[in-house]
Amino acid sequence: MVLLGEEERALLVDLAEQFRTVLTLDEDPDLRRLYPAAYANDAERDADYANLVHDDLVRTRIDAVEALIASSAAAYIDDEQLIAWMHVLNGLRLLLGTRLDVSEEDGFNPEAPDAPSRALLAWLGFVLEEAVESAMTGL
Amino acid sequence: MSPVPTEVEQPDIDQKHSQDQDTDTTTNRPWIVLVWNDPINLMSYVSYVFQKLFGYSQEKSDRLMLDVHQKGRAVVSSGNREKAEMDVFRLHEHGLWATLQQDD
Repeated sequence: MVLLGEEERALLVDLAEQFRTVLTLDEDPDLRRLYPAAYANDAERDADYANLVHDDLVRTRIDAVEALIASSAAAYIDDEQLIAWMHVLNGLRLLLGTRLDVSEEDGFNPEAPDAPSRALLAWLGFVLEEAVESAMTGL
Repeated sequence: MSPVPTEVEQPDIDQKHSQDQDTDTTTNRPWIVLVWNDPINLMSYVSYVFQKLFGYSQEKSDRLMLDVHQKGRAVVSSGNREKAEMDVFRLHEHGLWATLQQDD
């Protein structure tokens, strides 16, 4: 059961659509955390790996965005949709967190210029946390 | 974690052909999959992914997740290179920071 209000759902769809654009263009350096190196000490093998999987990773994320948008107004979502929601929420957090250059020591300063973005990151974390809790009961 | 190698690794004579030689047919040293700490992923999400992808118990997944968080990394699976690479791919799909390397 999705316990989100209409405004929250609209915000999520807006973010998901922006995410889809960034994923599709595939040029934003802040996407790097979504496509980490597999072979940290072997550039050649890592290039082979990236060539093999990069398009799949992009496609999977775009598919998840589509699934979230399609189910964004639903009162209940099934397991597959829940997984798609988690992928989008987590992907958005990785993009936003990289953009904000967050660290584990960061506190929240409401006066800081990036406070709205940090609040958004925290909100996405809250929704993801709820989704994970829900998914855990299904394991 | 790692089984004892049953064959001695071939010396790397020709760098250009190292990729062909350095396969599971010439060495049985297993590959390990590492997950690295990052400041963005939620602890509960990381533990959930371990349970879902590897079928680990919640207890084991939590322990691995805490290792990642506190020690900076944890070995989450091992096997031949193909299996390790597939595990890394699935972890990347889920947004975790994972790498593979041959165990030493």
